[in-house]
Amino acid sequence: MKELARELSVPLPAEESAGWNDFASLVREHQAMVFSIGYHFLHDVSLAEELAQEVFLQLHRNLKSLKSPSHVKHWLRRVAGHRSIDFSRHRGSMPSVALDDVPEPAAAVVDGDPMLAGKLRKLVASLPPKARMVVILRYQEDLELEEIAAALGMPLGTVKSQLQRALATLREKAARSIGEVYP
Amino acid sequence: MSRFEDDLRTALRRKEPPPGFAERALARAAVERETLLERLLGLFRFPAVRWVCAAALLLMLLLGVRYQQARRARQEGEEARAKVLYALQVTGSKLQLVQQKLRQLEAERETQDSAEEDPATSGRKIL
Repeated sequence: MKELARELSVPLPAEESAGWNDFASLVREHQAMVFSIGYHFLHDVSLAEELAQEVFLQLHRNLKSLKSPSHVKHWLRRVAGHRSIDFSRHRGSMPSVALDDVPEPAAAVVDGDPMLAGKLRKLVASLPPKARMVVILRYQEDLELEEIAAALGMPLGTVKSQLQRALATLREKAARSIGEVYP
Repeated sequence: MSRFEDDLRTALRRKEPPPGFAERALARAAVERETLLERLLGLFRFPAVRWVCAAALLLMLLLGVRYQQARRARQEGEEARAKVLYALQVTGSKLQLVQQKLRQLEAERETQDSAEEDPATSGRKIL
């Protein structure tokens, strides 16, 4: 019920909503989301952790200005998205660890073919930064196009075209490099 | 939804961060929570900072005393000037009174003189 109320931005009863802005709880609740945005975008565990730490530090500074749990969630997604794009711009000067060199983070159970999933992640990582973030927010976070546009501060039309182009590129690359032909 | 999108969704499923992530985030936030005042007070651990602060306080004290002295001297000067101006004003008005009195006396004397002179003149005319 709590999760549903948060998603719908419905205020919780006083005893349940008390302390919603407790920083420790927010970190534990959203760490997977923030870390995964960085991880899927940067394909580097240490950079993704660094990014997520900075996002949460920024949350800590701005916590008083956030009004509800859903506001916090949207804020975190937006900041993580923008920070990831900024990180990728400066990545050339930073030491990076290749995805294949590090063990998978404590991952949830992945259904389907893990090899295929890994290859698809690599293909996503080869997309241009903005298109990559659109794909991540669409398929990792299950966001609607309007929500992605709001999170990234992009016009809806741009998000649509970025996503279509990115999917076409991914299909083509998947067919070429993995041998998977998607209809 | 296409199979391709399903595969993408599976590939991009959320992952848990490395162990200890939350603790590290909380530790970083705790360091930042330290207020500015606490940080400034923390600086007093260093003897050099203590000496510099003491010297700065002493300097401020001396400058304050010097400023007060200068202010008092200026105030006294202004008071003295006001007194002189008042004295001059009083003297001026007194002098004016004296002058007025003198003029009055002079006018009276002239009237008397002319009154005394009149019978002689008239006598001479008769003669």
